[in-house]
Amino acid sequence: MTRIRATARAADKNTPAGGAVQLLRVPALEIRQGPTRRLYTFAIDGKKVPQFAAVSRVRRDEQKQLHGYQRPEVLNHVAAIRRYIESDDNPLLPNAIVIAFDERVKFVPATTPGNEPEGTGYVRTGTLQVPINHLWEDVDKPGFIVDGQQRCAAIRDASVDAFPICVTAFITGEHADQRSQFILVNSTKPLPKGLIHELLPTASGALPTPLRVRQLPATVLERLNYDERSPLQHMIQTPTNPTGVIKDNSVLKMVENSISDGVLYRFRGDDALPNVGLMFTVLANFWTAVRDVFGEEAWNKPPRKSRLMHGAGVISMGFLMDAIADHHGPGEDLPDANEFAAALKTVKDDCRWTGGTWDFGDGVVWRWNDIQNTPRDIQRVTDFLLGRYRASLTTGNGRKAKRRR
Amino acid sequence: MKFFFPDSQDQVDPSFDFITEERDPFRVRQRDDLYAHEVLQPAPFDGLLVSKAIVDGTAAASTGKYTVAQRHRLYRQGAQAFFRLNTGSTQLKIMGDCGAFSYVNEEYPPYTVDEVIDFYDGCGFDYGIAVDHVIFQYEPTVVRTDPRAAEWVRRQEITLTLAADFWKRCSARDVHFTPVGVAQGWSPESYADAITTLQRIGYKRIALGGMVPLKTYEILACLRAIDNVRNRNTQLHLLGVSRYEDIPTFTSHGVTSFDSTSPFRQAFKDDKDNYYTPKRNYIALRVPQVDGNAKLKKRIQSGEIQQDQALRLERTALQLLRQYDTGQVDADPVLEALQAYSAVWDGKSDRTAQYRQTLEDRPWRTCGCTICGTVGVEVIIFRGSERNKRRGFHNLYVFGQRLRAQLGKDDS
Repeated sequence: MTRIRATARAADKNTPAGGAVQLLRVPALEIRQGPTRRLYTFAIDGKKVPQFAAVSRVRRDEQKQLHGYQRPEVLNHVAAIRRYIESDDNPLLPNAIVIAFDERVKFVPATTPGNEPEGTGYVRTGTLQVPINHLWEDVDKPGFIVDGQQRCAAIRDASVDAFPICVTAFITGEHADQRSQFILVNSTKPLPKGLIHELLPTASGALPTPLRVRQLPATVLERLNYDERSPLQHMIQTPTNPTGVIKDNSVLKMVENSISDGVLYRFRGDDALPNVGLMFTVLANFWTAVRDVFGEEAWNKPPRKSRLMHGAGVISMGFLMDAIADHHGPGEDLPDANEFAAALKTVKDDCRWTGGTWDFGDGVVWRWNDIQNTPRDIQRVTDFLLGRYRASLTTGNGRKAKRRR
Repeated sequence: MKFFFPDSQDQVDPSFDFITEERDPFRVRQRDDLYAHEVLQPAPFDGLLVSKAIVDGTAAASTGKYTVAQRHRLYRQGAQAFFRLNTGSTQLKIMGDCGAFSYVNEEYPPYTVDEVIDFYDGCGFDYGIAVDHVIFQYEPTVVRTDPRAAEWVRRQEITLTLAADFWKRCSARDVHFTPVGVAQGWSPESYADAITTLQRIGYKRIALGGMVPLKTYEILACLRAIDNVRNRNTQLHLLGVSRYEDIPTFTSHGVTSFDSTSPFRQAFKDDKDNYYTPKRNYIALRVPQVDGNAKLKKRIQSGEIQQDQALRLERTALQLLRQYDTGQVDADPVLEALQAYSAVWDGKSDRTAQYRQTLEDRPWRTCGCTICGTVGVEVIIFRGSERNKRRGFHNLYVFGQRLRAQLGKDDS
């Protein structure tokens, strides 16, 4: 279909090409909102939505006039919802799709005026009459999806027989009206990441994949923040623990690094559930040792006073934990706090968490508070700490030297 | 003759599902993935070439392909464990280099000799190539004193000075790897001069750099010039050169090893030679993801192309390809579907004739490698990294076969 035809038809909606127009009748509620605004709410099988509603895609015609407003489907988002509908035992899509109808759609009240049920000055029951015709192209359809195109696409593609959904609709002849409603429903502020992470450990079931992957690190973080045996108890800053000194992100990053490439990987549970208890134990042992070795001066201070509590400190110390644990041995043979402390003492004198200058050997003077929470600085501190630790092993400083080859 | 494959974090994810195109969300990159030497028997190469620039990035730009966590695990566990070198039937070797191409535009190499030795020794490599600076040009008639050669001479001197330093530091530090010198040059004579100096320093293994853009006869001219000065026990490595037809000739000039990514990269970089067989190469059948083709994505976003139409064409093409493989349809409808989809995402080239050859010969059916045996027709589809890398692995397998045939080795 060419665009010119589409435009011509859109201008003359009452005489779409061919076929008999049928009326789809759905029970609905009419709700009065603004002085002239009427909202309609009803339920319908999501598979039927494409019969009467289309997505109005944004584009410009040959004269560069703007049409429509919706972006293309976000394919992986659609796939994620579809998977959920298909694979969850008990799927739920609670929020309504929003549809803008043109004036061909009519609401017929069930009760005549003056005979309404009690106590409702703003709502009445009735039937919504929606014209449908299987020959219509998208532009001929009486409805446009203002919100929920990804959900509609997912239900359309899902291999289920039916999936009823809630629809909220309004009637307008104006594209500009649809456009502003579209902008309004789509410009809400997303939840802060920190709040999501704090909710993750106690959420279950239907979560998007990236959040499911984060669930384990978030659970470990929660244990570190609230378990009585944790040296980091109440020290991690989250929305409900605003006085913590270490940013939740720094701890998450440290835990994630170790789960993917460090000692915690051993407990991720290839065929079973991850062993959060052992993950907690090794982290608690290590951070107890950090607290004991670096002492009060650097411990539990805001990052501007102690870089040990800063992203660069927490993350680089995490890598040191992995190195010490790997050197100690494989499997569940984990260093205890004393063994971690013995290893940490080999780098202690080179650390400048709260004052002085780091000697990275690059000829540059790095004041303690020059270290920033950037990938480059984290790498610098990590390389330095690991280099010193390795050097202590080969010179046999304190412990028996082990060589790989 | 040893073939080294340059590592660039190229693995395949065994959890990838070709129908749904989904993977296990909890898969850990690299650890749960498989290298070519884990998938293929025999291992298609004798070792890996691992660059400092790929692992650590350069100071100027973080070009590294490794995450910080992966990088530290490599240093901690060593190459043997990290690359799982002994999981296949062949015990592989690791050669380290600096990745000089990543800093070719710099005035001076960004790594110190000690840093590079730390990298090789820290990761437990078998061979370590000295710090070098690439000379891009090849001008066989330009002599050393010519003003045009000033920059090339400067780069050669940097390379040789660093090689001397590297040799000295390696001896002083009692390293566990074999040091390899690098000869950089712009002409047969200048390469020979570099070899003379490197042999005087003490190198018995020398890599030849900057030869990637050279024609075979140019490489041979250099090798002949080198023959005049080469000690009998000096072994040469060709950096980035893979011409298996010429390998026996190279061997006669003291070349004992080389490295190349091209069998792998041609799978998804070449216009037509995407799928190797022992006799000839085939074009792979292009079915890009609607979401994965940047040009198509832009046209959909602008409203120029309807997304559902593109999706329909993409799915039809994939479906017909699979039906063709199981004998449900013949080649014509598949070719039509490929062309119809191509008109949407490409619109220029018509590859129907080449596609027909690939389809009708069904080379994936007769290939004996594990990849073709397990994924079948998917290996020939040019689409997404899981398919493209598998095809690259398959090419490495065939390249290994061709190489052994060239060298007259029994392939049973």
